[in-house]
Amino acid sequence: MALDRYEWLGRLANRIPEDSLVMVTYIGAVSFEWAQLTKEHPRSAHLGQMGDVIGMAVGLALALPQRRVVCLDGDGSVLLELGQLVVLGQQAPANLTVFVVNNGCYESIGWDSGGTRRPTATAHGTADLAALAKAAGVPNVATVETVEDFEREVNVAFTASGCRFVDVRTHPSATRVAPRQIDGIEDKYRFVRYVEQLEGQAILGRAQQDRQLMRRTVS
Amino acid sequence: MLDSAAAEVLLGLKSAGINFVSGLPDGWLRNLHELIEADASSFQYVPVCNEGVGFSVCAGAWLGGCKTALLMEDSGLRVAAEYIARISLGTGVPVVLLMSYRGDLGETEHWAIPHGIVVEPLLQALRIPYQVVRQPVDLRQAVLRAHRLSEAQLHPAAVLISGSCVWED
Repeated sequence: MALDRYEWLGRLANRIPEDSLVMVTYIGAVSFEWAQLTKEHPRSAHLGQMGDVIGMAVGLALALPQRRVVCLDGDGSVLLELGQLVVLGQQAPANLTVFVVNNGCYESIGWDSGGTRRPTATAHGTADLAALAKAAGVPNVATVETVEDFEREVNVAFTASGCRFVDVRTHPSATRVAPRQIDGIEDKYRFVRYVEQLEGQAILGRAQQDRQLMRRTVS
Repeated sequence: MLDSAAAEVLLGLKSAGINFVSGLPDGWLRNLHELIEADASSFQYVPVCNEGVGFSVCAGAWLGGCKTALLMEDSGLRVAAEYIARISLGTGVPVVLLMSYRGDLGETEHWAIPHGIVVEPLLQALRIPYQVVRQPVDLRQAVLRAHRLSEAQLHPAAVLISGSCVWED
């Protein structure tokens, strides 16, 4: 059994708390669909890529422990850098939940022109992501294959405290929306300015602030 | 590294306001890791098993408002290069890189020679400005300046810490 990606991303988008932050992969179907489903809300940083999404989410969650952080990653990305699961387990930020779109294939390399989807190591149950996360020390892990199980995990993620890793078994399917026309640099500025506003602190332009401090010190 | 050198780095980190440090310890910087970890009121210290993951963690922390540094042996730059390219060349995120310069003049270990051969050309390929520090007294300023440039250009800047900061010749 498995879930439809666009459908479960939509369910998640509808439940995202207003003051939460999201670290999401910035290329491929997950990013495109998440952006559309959330109407490009700036709380989502479409900045992670293959092998670094969970790591960036851990850093974000540690930097802002008072914010609920959601991470959206793909199975190919998790498998590329399993060391991310180790730091997730070691740090276990209580405000972080990772949802993995586990479709068992490299979907975003494109199959519109036909051919056979190339499988990831999670295909046919070879590699078990939730078991890997558990073995790496992540305190709460789950594998979901039904809407009911997914809704339960979303509910826990947004009401309880504790680092969670949720492997969402997902049907392979091409993206249903058009690619985004925003690059990572614009995404970075958009997200950081949103965090600045949310937290009331400067992130950009700090070197200039340092220089002003130096001048005051000298004078 | 020399205690005096570690103290200078610590001073540089504090002068820069760096408050989030990740890293993978090596033989030269291990006491620096210990100092940083022990100073929990100044630094959030996140040890990692892989320098690439450490870079990703630092990048995420910067997006959340922290000032960040990554400590590693220069060999770790090869591991981190994939994520530096994806994150910093792709989106513009600053992280200060503090590396032991294994393979620099004075190196005694044969296994460290490849590290010295690769690190500077790799920094240049990644468009990361850097300073090689061979005197402990220069470390504080080098860290501070690397931080300022990194924040100004929204891209990493690096300090390579040579063996003369690790032992008395």
